[in-house]
Amino acid sequence: MDDLSKSSMKFFSDQQLCFADILLPHEVQARIQVAVLNFLKILSFPDPAISDLPLINRKSSNSRVSEGILTDVSWIFLSHSFCSRSLMKANATKAFIRVWKVMEMCFEFLTQEKRVTQRELFYKLLCDSPHYFSSQLQVNRTIQDVVALLRCSRYSLGIMASSKGLVAGRILLQEPNQEAVDCSACGSSGYAISGDLNLLESLIMKTDARYIVVVEKHAIFQRLAEDHVFNQIPSILLTAKGYPDIATRFLLHRMSRAFPDLPILALVDWNPAGLAILSTYKFGSIGMGLEAYRYACNVKWLGLRGDDLQLIPQQSLAPLKPRDLQIARSLISSTTLQDNYRQELAVMMQSGQRAEIEALYFNGYDYLGKYLAKKIVQANYI
Amino acid sequence: MDISSVQKLCIDLISSAVQRCRLSEDLCRLSVVLKSSPPIIRVSISDTGTGSCLEEFQDLKCNREGIGTEKWDGLLSIKTTSISDNKIYHYHLNLRGSVSARRLTRLPSILKNDAKFSGTEVCLSISETIDALLNDIKHYFQKMLILKIPSVAAELVIERGDASGLRCQNVFLPNECSPLNFSSSNVERLKSGLEEYVLKHRNSLNNKCDSCFCSREKLKISSGVARSMESHRSPGLIVEAVIAISEHSESLCFRSSGNKTEVLHFKDFSPSSVSIASLNALTSIDWRSYGLMLVSAVDQVDHALIEWESLPPYLHIDMVIHCYHKQFPGKCKYQPDRHLIKKGVKLALDDLKEKHTGLLLSAHAVKICSYAPDLASSIAGIILSSNDVKFRSKCSLLLELSQSQEIGKQTVEDRIKEKIISVIETNDRKPEKIKEAAPFLFEDDRPQDLDPADLYLEEHEGGDDVFSFPD
Repeated sequence: MDDLSKSSMKFFSDQQLCFADILLPHEVQARIQVAVLNFLKILSFPDPAISDLPLINRKSSNSRVSEGILTDVSWIFLSHSFCSRSLMKANATKAFIRVWKVMEMCFEFLTQEKRVTQRELFYKLLCDSPHYFSSQLQVNRTIQDVVALLRCSRYSLGIMASSKGLVAGRILLQEPNQEAVDCSACGSSGYAISGDLNLLESLIMKTDARYIVVVEKHAIFQRLAEDHVFNQIPSILLTAKGYPDIATRFLLHRMSRAFPDLPILALVDWNPAGLAILSTYKFGSIGMGLEAYRYACNVKWLGLRGDDLQLIPQQSLAPLKPRDLQIARSLISSTTLQDNYRQELAVMMQSGQRAEIEALYFNGYDYLGKYLAKKIVQANYI
Repeated sequence: MDISSVQKLCIDLISSAVQRCRLSEDLCRLSVVLKSSPPIIRVSISDTGTGSCLEEFQDLKCNREGIGTEKWDGLLSIKTTSISDNKIYHYHLNLRGSVSARRLTRLPSILKNDAKFSGTEVCLSISETIDALLNDIKHYFQKMLILKIPSVAAELVIERGDASGLRCQNVFLPNECSPLNFSSSNVERLKSGLEEYVLKHRNSLNNKCDSCFCSREKLKISSGVARSMESHRSPGLIVEAVIAISEHSESLCFRSSGNKTEVLHFKDFSPSSVSIASLNALTSIDWRSYGLMLVSAVDQVDHALIEWESLPPYLHIDMVIHCYHKQFPGKCKYQPDRHLIKKGVKLALDDLKEKHTGLLLSAHAVKICSYAPDLASSIAGIILSSNDVKFRSKCSLLLELSQSQEIGKQTVEDRIKEKIISVIETNDRKPEKIKEAAPFLFEDDRPQDLDPADLYLEEHEGGDDVFSFPD
């Protein structure tokens, strides 16, 4: 069964799939070189022109869902809708040049065989071309443009993912030629997940856990780790401290493939953002749709859910904010959301309220562990 | 009324004489003689053009009410003959007389005795200072030279009847500096005329000013001709517009009006006032697509004055617009057509842009060109940081640089920048509708579906879409 998820038992949706290749440095450099040659060729035509950049659309209109038939994992992917970025359009000129500048910088790093983080790249670009880059967000978006243009993964460009995630619990992780790290002995801070995907790929994992618990918030992760909840119910705790980054998802995906019998359970706040986070682990994202689809996992929603609201006091419920409503609308319009999730979302919207996991502490600081254990044992997850 | 009316009267008479010469198709002489015995000036305007008819002079009457009797007594002495006449007719015309009174006095004709010639002489006495009149007449001729009517040679003779008894003479001849011949079109002549007008600082010099214009290239000149379809409403009208752009490094001569352009107007081969249609036409042109910004266009009686937002310091623009009827200039009354004028000027502007790269670049193109160095620098950076020799040499080949190893970054960058700017400038010259989309950088995956409503800003507003946060 293991191989089936790798096999090509996928049908028409695959023809629509647009993906970013995971390439070696010299292959990426080759693509950049082809880009330069094409640009110069077109610039030297008898009827010369400045070529436009064809970028794959990273919008929901270009997103599709692949429902795994023989696997139970669905994912979001991007299809072949392009938008064209031209130097000549007044409001796109700078964005056009930003793409080339990032390509230039990545090319340099690849030649030097260096890897950088997005943050480092931002500072380097800020020093080099302050007129073009003003924020980290802009740099991140430009990087995604380059990914969309060259169709190679961000990591292939030499850009490391952020190191946000943490692992704790009954798992041994061993980097090649290093000592194995016992994540149950890491204390409340856990083992930091590296941003280097190659390194994560090479980790040797051993576990005797029976569940993987993905936690939305760092504070909750810390409490659970401190209380050694993973010993009461043999489990692995994982968090990305909020919205999941590629490295955390990568590792989770590796775990799910290495240990396919372990159900993956998510513990998120009762609000649209929590559901969004869960969905990202589950289906992937559009923003990084060219790569993220690879790391979709079958994550189940443990809590907080509608029926847990009776466990928390009325006062701990807060009103939904406009941002929450925005996220909820976006979730509702996505085709991937299964019915029972939709129902939960509907209840959230109707009540107009949200609740955080911390509300469970009303029942005592150790209540969280008990709650978790009870739900797992009852297989109360959707 | 005011002094200018007398001068205007003289100018009108001279103007009619010019028209008669033009229509004659033979080489004609026009003489304006001013005999000054203060306070009276005896003005004599004689030409060897076609003969005149009395109606021309009688038409003058309506406009002359304003001239005070102390300036002019209303008497015109006219001698005229046509080729086919066998005598020279001589009249005295009193324009002050009422309609019913006999204003016309015929005087004995002079027999021609089989000599074949035609011409007219008009004389009048006015009470005026000679200098003001002289200025106006000179000014008129300087402007008329722009039209370069080939068949007219004009001279202005002043005899001062004072103690010194001086006699001086100005001759105004077209075709001095440039080889035009009778078969040149009107617009060619207009172009040449404006060119000389500018080079000679409004024809105030006899030869072009060498200090301001030491090389021909400094003056860029172009023309546009717009023709209307013939119909009963608008007879075949022609509008010719000529634009001259001069760049001089140092304004040694008077040039004070850096940001202003005088737009000279001619109607039916005669200097004319500015019409509302013309002002409307000038203000309605999209100057931004030529890199210019119009602040105002004002009627200054004998020319329109355009004020620009800001011109590059040593750039000066001159313009002339000539409207006339194709077949019968001056004979048909018509309204100047705003659309036609606008079309003529635009054609001249497009012609200028077409002939001179980089001139009159639209503000948009200038802005994009300002980014060219950065783009060139990025691409050059990629080329030079590559260890792949084949790649680098392929790039050198495409950039038409020598294949040697020692190409510096600056050379590569400059070459790329040149090419980019040239594409931007060429693109700028094409009218909007013809501009095609540029080819894609990667052609092999032909996009199956090009998003038509693509707005770059929209792409980046992914906020609504929860799944679009990149990590």
